[in-house]
Formats: sequence, structure tokens, C-alpha cells
Amino acid sequence: MSIWLQILISLVQILFTASIILVTVAYLVYFERKISAWAQNRIGPNRVGPYGLLQPFADVLKLFFKEDIVPHAANKPIHTLAPILALVIALSTFAVIPIGPPIYIFDLKIPLVVADVNMGILYILALTSVGVYAITFSGWSSGSKYSLLGGIRSSAQMISYEISMGFSIAGVLIFSESLRPMEIVNSQAGFMWNAFVQPIGFITFVVAAFAETNRLPFDLPEAEPELVGGYHTEYSSMKFAAFFLAEYANMIIAAGLIVTLYLGGWQIPYIENLGLSYTLTTSLQILGFFVKMAAVLFFIIWVRWSLPRFRYDQLMNIGWKVMFPLSLLNLIWVAILVMLMN
Amino acid sequence: MPHFILDGKEIQFIQGQTIIEAAAKVGIDIPHFCWHPSLTVSGNCRVCLVEIEKMPKLAIACSTLASDGMVVNTNSVKALSARNAVMEFLLINHPLDCPICDEAGECKLQDYAFDHSVGESRFVENKVHKEKRVSLGTHVMFDGERCISCSRCIRFCDEIAGVNELTFINRGDKVTIDTFPGKELSNPYSLCVTDICPVGALTSKDFRFKSRVWDMSSTKTICSGCSRGCNVEMWVRNNEILRLTPRYNEEVNSYWMCDEGRLNTFKSVNADIRVNGPHIKRDGTLVKAGWDEVFALATSELKSYNKSEIAVLGSAFATCEENFVLAKFAKSVLGIKNIDFAKHEKPNSGDDILIRDDKSPNSFGAELAGIHPLKDGLNFQNIMRAIDEKKIKALYLVEDDLVSLDEDYKKILSKLELFIVHSSNFNSTTELADIVFPAATYAEKNGTWINFQGRIQKLLPAVMTVEMDRSLDGMAMSRLDKFGTEFDRWGKSKKMNARPIWKIITSLANALGTKYKYQTSEEIFDEMSKTIDLFKGLDYQRVGELGVKLNVTTLAKVKV
Amino acid sequence: MAKKKRLKDLSLLEQIYLPEIVKGLALTMKNMFKPSFTMEYPEVKFEPGASYRGRPVLVMEENGDERCVACGLCSRVCPAIAIEVQANDTDKEKERYPERFEINMLRCIFCGFCEEVCPEEAIIMSKDYELAYTNREDGILGLDKLLVPVSELQERIQFLRKYK
Repeated sequence: MSIWLQILISLVQILFTASIILVTVAYLVYFERKISAWAQNRIGPNRVGPYGLLQPFADVLKLFFKEDIVPHAANKPIHTLAPILALVIALSTFAVIPIGPPIYIFDLKIPLVVADVNMGILYILALTSVGVYAITFSGWSSGSKYSLLGGIRSSAQMISYEISMGFSIAGVLIFSESLRPMEIVNSQAGFMWNAFVQPIGFITFVVAAFAETNRLPFDLPEAEPELVGGYHTEYSSMKFAAFFLAEYANMIIAAGLIVTLYLGGWQIPYIENLGLSYTLTTSLQILGFFVKMAAVLFFIIWVRWSLPRFRYDQLMNIGWKVMFPLSLLNLIWVAILVMLMN
Repeated sequence: MPHFILDGKEIQFIQGQTIIEAAAKVGIDIPHFCWHPSLTVSGNCRVCLVEIEKMPKLAIACSTLASDGMVVNTNSVKALSARNAVMEFLLINHPLDCPICDEAGECKLQDYAFDHSVGESRFVENKVHKEKRVSLGTHVMFDGERCISCSRCIRFCDEIAGVNELTFINRGDKVTIDTFPGKELSNPYSLCVTDICPVGALTSKDFRFKSRVWDMSSTKTICSGCSRGCNVEMWVRNNEILRLTPRYNEEVNSYWMCDEGRLNTFKSVNADIRVNGPHIKRDGTLVKAGWDEVFALATSELKSYNKSEIAVLGSAFATCEENFVLAKFAKSVLGIKNIDFAKHEKPNSGDDILIRDDKSPNSFGAELAGIHPLKDGLNFQNIMRAIDEKKIKALYLVEDDLVSLDEDYKKILSKLELFIVHSSNFNSTTELADIVFPAATYAEKNGTWINFQGRIQKLLPAVMTVEMDRSLDGMAMSRLDKFGTEFDRWGKSKKMNARPIWKIITSLANALGTKYKYQTSEEIFDEMSKTIDLFKGLDYQRVGELGVKLNVTTLAKVKV
Repeated sequence: MAKKKRLKDLSLLEQIYLPEIVKGLALTMKNMFKPSFTMEYPEVKFEPGASYRGRPVLVMEENGDERCVACGLCSRVCPAIAIEVQANDTDKEKERYPERFEINMLRCIFCGFCEEVCPEEAIIMSKDYELAYTNREDGILGLDKLLVPVSELQERIQFLRKYK
């Protein structure tokens, strides 16, 4: 396989993934609004296009034409860098999440993942850590106390929850014996989903994922009643849109990770026993991945419109006194399991 | 000194005083309708019933003489119930049409109904109906239903105005007020009856339905009608004077003022022919110009004449302060000797009550402030003659319509080469002027006037010019003034681009090279109190609301 | 009021918190299938009841006269100073009529004091709530816009007579 063909395939994959994320983000926002409306017995967006389907594009267009305001006290380069950083990280994290088994076109084996790297999970952990910088930068460079407080809260929150997230993932890794996401998915064949095998790890990971994506009930960095808008208080126009996009992209990644690590990835249990053709099986599996992801996304939104925000001390309490011990417990449980199975 | 006890309080009195008088002297108000301190006692309203110990029945405080050791109760159960009963009786036939009554807000019946009435009437029968719109004279409107027959108006006409014009007619509940056959309520003080009427039965036609009293601000100032200088309240809404009412000052006007002063003096302030901004004559007509432009023109013109060719005329309508600055300006800046002012006397137009022959409010003050010819200088008559003979070519005149004094002056004044006038309104004198400075009227400035008695009294601004601000300048403010914005229609009031004379003279003196530093009228007065003997020790605070009488013995030496 | 529950009062199940989250989630899920209350405004218009206080209007009698006698009580009682009245003389029985009556809707706070204080039942809070203006001048309503025939205001007048 020539290097050019590989580059071409990668480019197509990147383009495909990026556009999937962007479109999904757009409609995620739409559904977020719709679901919130339903939960509150309202109608939700229904003015732009049929059923308000064009609303996200109207929103983007509006943001696009808004004036870009940079506060006088802001550190301009970093103020500009922060949203770009946030978006780039959010989009590149998705590179290692497999959405289906390899497919074959003209005898070419194409893995359905942009980068099938052997330390994919490490890559994800690394990138999400960098994600904190985007928020801290924006908070600090805005020259506003609301933004700064938002930034500080965000870093504290992320650091606290990254530990339990790391330990939860460790449980998964012990099982799969690989850092490669493909391997992790493969290790969950049948009903051996990690969610069932290590439920405590699943719960701690989901909670940590909520915290990492700044979603309710963990949205303290942008708590409107306290901080106006938190770290993005001083952002407008497309810079704000970049943060907005990054936030929702992070949600998709979190959902992708939850599916990959705990819900069997693209696996559909015992589908190979049905004796379907390879193409159909693969298609169903890809579809399965997206259905699972959609379910997780719905869950994330549903939680947002059901639960109130934690207080800051409660947040830290849960992070350090509940989630961290639980994730340790999970590790012990996995160790015992592995020992027994061997 | 004898004393009696009123509601547990010891009150001193002079033998011959009634209870209500003695109480009023120390500031205790016993409810009353028909009693008025300046009128004879009538005792018909019965609302001043008080309980006096050892007296078998309640007595009316207005006609019961106070005697030593008397114990009077105004708030005993008996007195209170009697007062309530009287109020109920009075309200039986009163139409309670306060919403359409001009008196509402300053109505004694309204106040007492609030303070001394049970609030409900047991009268279910039909009220007696009377004429509601009766014109009693040129200025006064009568509403028979509202009248409580206190007879104050009748007694006023008989005792104060000295004319028998009003009387009661009919009897019982049909009793009403009317003029004697063939007569009208036409005495020159007729509108005073609207002031003393305790209800809205007598109202002013001029002020009829113009404004609710609570929408106006009131400023304590002086009437400009004649040299009496009656103390008045000036009622302003939306920067427009709506009425004048007399203000009590026993030394000057007591409770009264004449119709002429009440109705006709303030109208020129609201008039459409006000001089709004400085004007210059170009091609035979007066055109608006900027202040700086006019100052420059006036300075260069004044410089081009000999000292003997210029005359300055002060005014008996301007304040003492303005005349003082003008005299100082004429003497030290222009260096001239021909200074005087015109008198506005209408012989035999005055009476023994209030109205004076001298129709200007401040001829005394103008003289005292230094508006009189210097040694070898020409007086007013001679100045006019000199103008006629073209010996005097430039005339500086402030706030005086000379042509209204004598039509012949028109011909004389048109011979002038330079004629500068300060005027608040356009008139036949300003027509002849080359430069017209817009003068703030007496309602738009601070200052003092001295009346014919030698009493110095203070003017307060009630109307804003463009350079004034109601709250910053400490002027009286109504609720609308306090909360209005430029976006409210009633906030967009008409304001004149005019300045008091002293301010213009100050600018002119500075332009001519002599630094005057006057910022307020009060500063000028302080300077006057230092330089003029009669004013010694006086300042605005001491002049106060009621004025101060200048030393009469010294005054006699000043010839006016 | 229900007694406030402290952390120490909670049962173990409540302290675990997860069941409570599930309860909350169930509640929102249940609501997602209930009909919505939203009224789609420009197409569907809200018809207020008689107790509604909308734009204050002046009552126009059947003969076309205004009922108002320009007493200015509404103007005085108005806490926002939204009302300006200029009275004048009339030959009609009421003697006094409003030569000018202006309500500044940009100032009005719909408190209804004017209606309450009016001795003539002449100023009435209508049901009109569509009050958008594109400039300040349009927000000041004169007699031409304020007068509304008495027949259209019967519902509110009856309400006032019953409850005022």
C-alpha cells in the first residue's frame, strides 16, 4: 500500500469524522433544546424550518454575524488561542475511537478509526488533560473575575475527577490487556460488556465523564447564577461558538468513550451467529455503535434537565470521598475477577 | 399676664382676645370655617365648638372671650362629637364634587372632613340643588351647592374692600349668596374672596380648571404690580406661571392682593412675545444673534462714543442688585455722568387699601442702588431732551418700556445712533433698539426690591431660563419637576434664553476690560451691604421671606 | 411546611443517592410524554380574564363623550407618573372635561391604581397587552387612542363592581 493512498484514506477518514462530529453537534444542540422543552412541557424550537430543524444553522449564522468583542483588559493572543485550542482538542480526540470493525474496499482493509494507535487510551487521557488548558487560558486571559473563577473551578474539578476516571479506565485496561481501543472493543464480545462486568467502574467513569465535560450536575465552571457564564463570559461571536462547539464535541467524545470502554463499542452480541453477510453485519455494527452513542447522549441530556447543580463543596466531597474510593474498589474487584478467571 | 388652659396647655392672652385668637397666636389651630383673623366674628359655622369647664353648654371658640383661669377642651368627647355632628350637617348638602372642584387640595372642608369627620353620612334623602355656575363678577365664579354659608366673602367685601356687593339671599337650606340687585362683584380686590372661601364655592375664572393645586410648585416672591410689593406665592407648573396668591405679611399686604396684580403681572412672563436670545438690528429688523457676537458689537459700539454722548437709564422694574451693577458699570467702566431712571407714576390710580400710584415695584431701590445723575449729569427729562437735540447719541436702557410712558418718546428715541435695550418682551421701545439683550423677568431671577415703605423684600426665581436648573438652583419643585425626564411631554417646557441684567453687565464690563467677578445676585447684595449705609448688616438670610424695613429716619433724607 | 431533612436524617438508601437520581430521571421522563402548555403566540392569542390589567383606557359613553371629568386623581395616584391630564371648561353638565389626556405607556406599570381611584369609573384597565412601539412618541397615547366604547368594557366594569 503506497504512502499516498494511506494519506488519502486518512484524509477521507478525518473529513468524514470531523463532519460527523460537526453535524452531530449541531443536532445535539437542537435535541438538547427539544428534550429540555419536552421535559418542561414546552414545544421547543419550531420556527426555523420544519419542526425547527434548521435552528442550529440559524444559530450559527447569528453567531457568525455577531461582533467579536475583546475586553480591554484581556491578553489578546491567549484570549484568541483558547477557543481554538478547545475546539482542536475536542475534534482530535475522536481520532482514536473506532466506530466499527474494519471494512474492505477493493481488498483494502480500512479500519473504521482515524488512527488505530496502540496507546489510544493514553492519547485520550493526554488530550483531555490538555483540554483543561483551553478553559484555564480563557478564564485567565479574559481579565474578568467571573472568567477567572470559572477557569479556576474548572481546573480544580478536572484534576479531581481525572483520578477516578483514570482508575476506572485502569480496570478496563486490566481486562483487555491493551491500550488499543480496537482491542478493548474486541475484548467485550458477546455480553462481556465492561458495564456488566465492572458496574462500579462504569458508574464512576460515567460520573467522571460528566464532570470532565462540564455537564450538569457538574457545570460549576460556567454556573450562570454565580459566574454569569464562567470562563466564556467575555467571549462573543465565533470565539464563543468555538467553545460551544467544543463543549458539545466533548459530549460526543465522552459518549463515544463510554460506548467503547463499557458498552461493547460497535459490538452487537451474537450477531455473527445469525449468519448474515459480512457487509450487512458490518453495517449493522456501525449502526449499533451510533445507536448506543445516541442513547448515551440522550442520557447525558436527560440528566442535565433532571438534576440540579452541585455546590462546590459537594462536588469536591463526591470527587475525593466517594468517586476516588469507589474507583479503587473497582480496581480490587477487577483484580479478583482476573485472578479467578485465570 | 392672664392665661387659660387649652387642652392642658397654659396659654397667655391679652384681655379682649377670643379663645381662637389666643390659640392662633401660639400656633394652635382650632378648626374653623367662618372665622378669619382679619374679619369680624360671625360665628355661624359652629365647627369651632369647644368644651369649657363650668359652662353648661359647648361654646364657639371664635366668639367666646378668653378669661383668666378658663379651662378649655377641644378634644373632649363632647367637643369631638359636636364637631363630627357639625361636619355631618355641613356635608349634608355639599355635593362632594371634589373631582371637578378647583379648591380640592387646599379646601378646608376637605381637610376637616378628613381630620374631624366620621367618614360616613346617615343622610339618605335628596340633596338640595342650587345653581352651580354663577358668574358673580368679571373674575369670580360661584357654585351655590358647594357654599357652606360661612359669610366670609360677604364680610370681606363689607369690611376690607369697603363695598357692599355680596349678601345672603333666601332662608334655611335654600340660602345662597348673591350680589345686590344691579351690582356685580367688581371691586378691585374681588379675587380675595376665592382665597378666603373655605370651600370651592368661589373660584377664579382665570384659573378655572387650569391645574390641580398639587401639580404646581409654589415660590414665595413679590408682586411686580406696584410699589406696594405685595407678598405672593407664585404657582408654576411645567415652567409656566398659572396663578398668584397673596402671602400673609401684616406689614405689607396682610392676607390680600388686588386683582390687577394677581391677574395681569405674571402674564408677560408666559407671553409669546418674550425676547428669546440676544437680537441685533439688521436692515431695519431685529434678528437673533449669538451672545458673543452681541457682546462684541456692543463693546465696539460703546467705545466709539464720547463719555458725554452716552446716557444710561436704570429701571424701577429691575432689582436693586441689577441697578447697583449698572450704576457701577456706568460710572467706572463707561465713566459717564448721565444716569437716571424713568418713573412710572399714574396719579390717582391708587387707593387706601393696597394699590399705589407708583406702578413700578422698585423705584426706591433703583435710587438707593445709585441710579441717579452724578454731579453735572443729566436727569431723565434732560437726557430725553439731549437725545432730542442729538447731544446724546447713545442710550443704554434696561428693562423699561419708555414708549409706553409717552408716545412722543418714540420720535425722540429714533434719533439715537446707538440704542441698547435690555428687555424681557418685545415692545414698541425694543422696535427702536439696535441691540436687544434678553432680560430675565422678575420670576426668573434672584434679587431684592424695596417697596414704598422702604421695606426690602426678596424675589425668588420660579421659572427657569435655559441657563437654570430647578433642582441645582434650589428652586421650588413640584412632583412633576422632581420626576420628569426630557422624554416626558410635560418635561419639555418652554425655557427662555435670557439673563438677568447684572449678568449681562458683568460680561460686558469684562469685555470692556474691567474685571467683574459676580457669580450670583447674592454676591452683589453683599457688596451693596458693605458700600451702602442703609443696607449695612443685611444679607439675603436676614431679608428672609417677609423682608426687612430699612431705617426710616435715614430713609427720609434720601429724596425719591 | 414540611420539616427540613438534614443529612443525618437520611436513610441509607437516600444517602447512596443513586435511587434518588433515578427517581428524578423518572419524573422528567414522565413529563416528556405529557402535552405541552405552550401557546404559540402570534397565531394563537391569549384571551385574558376580567381580572387582567392591560392597557388603561378611557370609557367612551354611548353618545361619544368621554366619561372622564379630568379630576387628575389618576394622574396624582400614578406611582410612575404616566398620566397627564389637562382639564378645561365645558357647557355639559359635568362642567369639566379632559382637553388633553395622555398616558405614557413607557412609564405605565399596570398597577391599576388609576382605575381604583377613579371616582367616575372612567378609566378602566383593558385586556390589551400588545404594546410594542418603535419610538418614544408612539408610546404616549392621547385621547384618540384611549377612548374605548363602554360596551367593550362591560366585563371589566362588572368585575370591578363586584370586587373593588
